[in-house]
Amino acid sequence: MSRSAKKGPYVDEKLFRKVQKAQQAGNNAPIKTWARACTIVPEFVGLTFMVHNGKVFAKVFVTEDMVGHKLGEFSPTRMFRSHSGGRK
Amino acid sequence: MPRVAGVDIPNDKPTRIALRYIYGIGPKFAVEICRKAEIDPNIHAKNLTESELSAIGGILTNDYVIEGQLRRQVQQHIARLRDISCYRGFRHRRGLPVRGQRTKTNARTRKGPRKTVAGKKSVKEMR
Repeated sequence: MSRSAKKGPYVDEKLFRKVQKAQQAGNNAPIKTWARACTIVPEFVGLTFMVHNGKVFAKVFVTEDMVGHKLGEFSPTRMFRSHSGGRK
Repeated sequence: MPRVAGVDIPNDKPTRIALRYIYGIGPKFAVEICRKAEIDPNIHAKNLTESELSAIGGILTNDYVIEGQLRRQVQQHIARLRDISCYRGFRHRRGLPVRGQRTKTNARTRKGPRKTVAGKKSVKEMR
């Protein structure tokens, strides 16, 4: 067993509490968060998050496939707008 | 030349080497298979008997994911990354390195042949 497996996934506590509250209330309002390093756990599925990318909050709707990834993976921090000149 | 697992025709090398010509079988699995089939890993592939070959074939189909099936599996995993629009998915779509390598220089395996841009400073000028 690797050390990281032993330690278990990192889930932001405050965010997790918010998620539980939202589920109890059946509330689908997007949850704003800065916790990009937080692993997506099965409890998150079906909720919408607003994940900060350093500038704005990107809307992330969590599906089952996303479990195990981190929230930050879905909120890109860099944007490439193609080079000048372009192509013919 | 012996024939194992459909299309693969490993040549006259020791069995543990010859098995590695199968997609999905590396040094570790090659030796493992020999052990399971109770074959001396150093015996040359051409000297394998018919029953030994079928034993290997049986083990390959039952315990290992190889060739087309494995290729498909890999493609599916990449497709999943693309579908959920995560960072790694973007990098696959763009054809850029996925694991955080630098792209200012190098990364030619992913990016393909150099596309020269007129007016761009060369590496020499930058120094």
